[in-house]
Amino acid sequence: MSQKSDEFEPLGDNPFHVLGLRPDCTRVDVEREGQKLLGMLGLKLKSAATYMSPLGPRARTEDKVRAAMAALRDHEKRLGHEFWASLPPPATPPKPPPAPETRGPGPAPLAEAFAALGWRRS
Amino acid sequence: MTSAPLYVGIDLGTTNSTAAVFDGEKVALVRNAQGSPITPSVVRIDARGNVSVGARARRFLDSDADNTRSEFKRLMGTAQAIRFAAAGVERRPEELAAEVLRSLRADVRDQIGVLPARAVISVPALFELPQTSATSEAARLAGFERVELLQEPIASALAAGWTVEDQGGAWLVYDLGGGTFDVSLLETRDGLLRVVGHDGDNFLGGRDFDWAIVDWAIAQAARDGVVITRADPAHAAAVRKIKLAAEEAKIELSRAESASITAPGLTVGGTDYDLDVTLDRETLERLCAPAIDRSIAVCRRLLQAHGVAEGGLTRVVLVGGPSVMPVVRRLVSEQLSVPPAEGLDPMTLVAQGAAIFAATAGLEARPAAIEPVRGAKVWLQYPAMSSDLTPHVVGRLVERTGPVNSVPTEVQLGRSDGLWDSPWTPLDEEGAFVLPVSLVPRKPNVFRLAGKNIQGNAVALDPPTLTIVQGLTISDPPLSRTIGVALASNDVRVYFERGAPLPARRTFTLHTVDSVARGAEKAVIKIPIVQGEYEQAHLCRLVGALEIGGKELKQTLASGAEVELTIELDRGGRMSARALIPAIGQVFESVAHLLVPEADPEVLESTVTATRGRLGELRTDAFRRQARDSIERLTQVESALDDVGRDIAAARGGDADAAQKARRALIEVDALIEGVELDRRWPELDREAREALIWTTGWVQDYGQPHEQTLYQETAKAVEKARQGRDPLELQRQLRLLRRLGSSAYGRHPEAWKHRFEDAAADVGNATDVARAQALVKEGREALAKGDNEALRRVTQKLWQLLPSAPEDRRKGHESGVR
Repeated sequence: MSQKSDEFEPLGDNPFHVLGLRPDCTRVDVEREGQKLLGMLGLKLKSAATYMSPLGPRARTEDKVRAAMAALRDHEKRLGHEFWASLPPPATPPKPPPAPETRGPGPAPLAEAFAALGWRRS
Repeated sequence: MTSAPLYVGIDLGTTNSTAAVFDGEKVALVRNAQGSPITPSVVRIDARGNVSVGARARRFLDSDADNTRSEFKRLMGTAQAIRFAAAGVERRPEELAAEVLRSLRADVRDQIGVLPARAVISVPALFELPQTSATSEAARLAGFERVELLQEPIASALAAGWTVEDQGGAWLVYDLGGGTFDVSLLETRDGLLRVVGHDGDNFLGGRDFDWAIVDWAIAQAARDGVVITRADPAHAAAVRKIKLAAEEAKIELSRAESASITAPGLTVGGTDYDLDVTLDRETLERLCAPAIDRSIAVCRRLLQAHGVAEGGLTRVVLVGGPSVMPVVRRLVSEQLSVPPAEGLDPMTLVAQGAAIFAATAGLEARPAAIEPVRGAKVWLQYPAMSSDLTPHVVGRLVERTGPVNSVPTEVQLGRSDGLWDSPWTPLDEEGAFVLPVSLVPRKPNVFRLAGKNIQGNAVALDPPTLTIVQGLTISDPPLSRTIGVALASNDVRVYFERGAPLPARRTFTLHTVDSVARGAEKAVIKIPIVQGEYEQAHLCRLVGALEIGGKELKQTLASGAEVELTIELDRGGRMSARALIPAIGQVFESVAHLLVPEADPEVLESTVTATRGRLGELRTDAFRRQARDSIERLTQVESALDDVGRDIAAARGGDADAAQKARRALIEVDALIEGVELDRRWPELDREAREALIWTTGWVQDYGQPHEQTLYQETAKAVEKARQGRDPLELQRQLRLLRRLGSSAYGRHPEAWKHRFEDAAADVGNATDVARAQALVKEGREALAKGDNEALRRVTQKLWQLLPSAPEDRRKGHESGVR
């Protein structure tokens, strides 16, 4: 199963980006904007269908909006998201993983690495 | 058109049930034919098959116990049939619950003049999925067209928040019911109520007080030489009578200093005995104190989990019949250093909150009338209830074509009091508008919707009005228990974490373990859905299963085939699941909602014996390690096993409820023991964490992307914190994240897939489909020779899907057919 979405979550699915709000917005702003977006998505309005993130435009869904509202209602979680949302956007799109030929291979992966990384076969 | 909205809420309780209505401004309790807002959850079926409900039935509970049933809520979701001897009929628990709901529905009709078609029904926060499903079924049987289920503590909180003016800060809802205890930590800010977390004990309630009094009364009888045994079926009638007398004495002691427990004409061992003893309040408080202390310990655990310090609460709301007892109110208030909220009725608060929530959910109780369309049809989206004073109304024309005069190009919303109008707003290119509206606080606000065509002439719109109630609202209700899919490895693929906002939907791609031939009658791929907080599936409760049978397959399914499984939960926690198999383009949707398993006393007894054996080993080990915390937890286990033993004895005496209680207690005991084992494994876990840190630091540094490196720093700190705090569950969680980041970076090493491939290829002889696995190995070798890393990755991932799971793991993983 892919874990990709989890890895990129702090950037792409940041609740502030999903709701189109700034990190200094109030709690009332979160509720108001979230409710408005849910209404717009409920009526399938194109203007609500995507949002901009540092990783480029992304699809906005009702589930994402609800999750974003829930995350920003929780003070502790909100702090973490504020950190990510206040990072300056990358000047260029994120780089793809380094190609093997552009850097030295480094130490060969050892058999013990499987266990240390928690690999299981099922 | 009716001006005031009507919302109905129902508290379907174990002992009593209540209905309430809300008109957007005030909540009113619904009175039954006897004039009481409280209807006992008791059903009687007489010899002629006549059904009576409530107080009329309750009168026969003692004199005609075989035909009068109570406390059936505790059996909801089980296959336990309840027999009515005189009529010679059997009823399922949800059928009896439906009788109570039908009676309450009729009470609403008699009082308000409307037979409600929709309502909100409360359920305990820790109800399992089969139990919530049975509650929905009961509502359907009672004639409701649509219901939403709401967790009881949220309902109480909503009602308390609506009533109490001072709404700021953190507060507790302490809900002690007849058989369950729930506590919720809430926070109110800016008119929005948020459930921070909840906890509870499924086996703690007013019944524990009753049984403590019964045991005390039995001990008094023993002084007269009369031996009454709760486990003896021959004594069941006597015990029932004593319990009724004990309940009455307990209620009387809320006001008086002493009360009599009188049960004349008990037949014990062939002789008659009149029980008549006096219980004073001090003795009652002593008898009840252990159960109250247990509830307070649960509250402390919840506060600690959310970092709320002693004295950090603004108030506690006490709910449920047993919380009326002065000793409960005093001990809770003193020990948690928080004043109780005054002026709230603990018996009806849940129903009131359910009615308010019906407004939040836009669940108007009146049956939908079919009315002719009165203008250009508009789809509208707005909150039926809003804490915000300026929420948005979003609208869109259903039809944008037609005679130019009948198509609106501008809209306006105006409040019915004439004090606020929106500007005229042009519709956008999708025929839509988004308008903020201004609400009058704590009132139902009616807005009229007006339209103008391109020539500036009025166009009628349908609907012509909409209503928004301003007041305290609840954020999306949180899921009370984690839900996931049991895998063949006995791991759980978590779909929704506890606390996730509802409704929710999520899809993951799983892979089949075995192949299933098309048409094979007995071959089935089982996808078990489990609920619980543990990483291992066998410790979680099986709450449903989706089965893909060979008979229904259009084509043979290879092992390792992809299954895209979507699980969806509605606001009340009801679940639906859907499995798409892309390879053959087939969809499976029928989820078997499992019943709560039968609890056979013999099976329970053998589980207790096995658990005691395990307990002995762990205790020896804990003493050797001088692990005080483990020793304490094992003492708790021992005490719980003693309780289970008593319940099994009661189950042998015919008490089906006690059998279910014992079954659930054994699952909780299993989890407690698992915690101790985790503790025992601490040195190993700690070593794993240190090693993972060493390995992953290098990989993430060399091959991680910048955001991964930042996240890694945070995770490494969290790992250290969990190690310092010696918190095995948290360490496991952080370790998973650490390994994921490490694996992700490791995967970018040029030789990573070569090594993963070689590791998998070494085990090819054990594959579920050896021929296919060998072909994949050949393909992999070719990719390796060509230096095609991408092809090698694809081959290795396919190969993994063919490698076997250990049979023992699979058995524990509820016979899961996916990984």
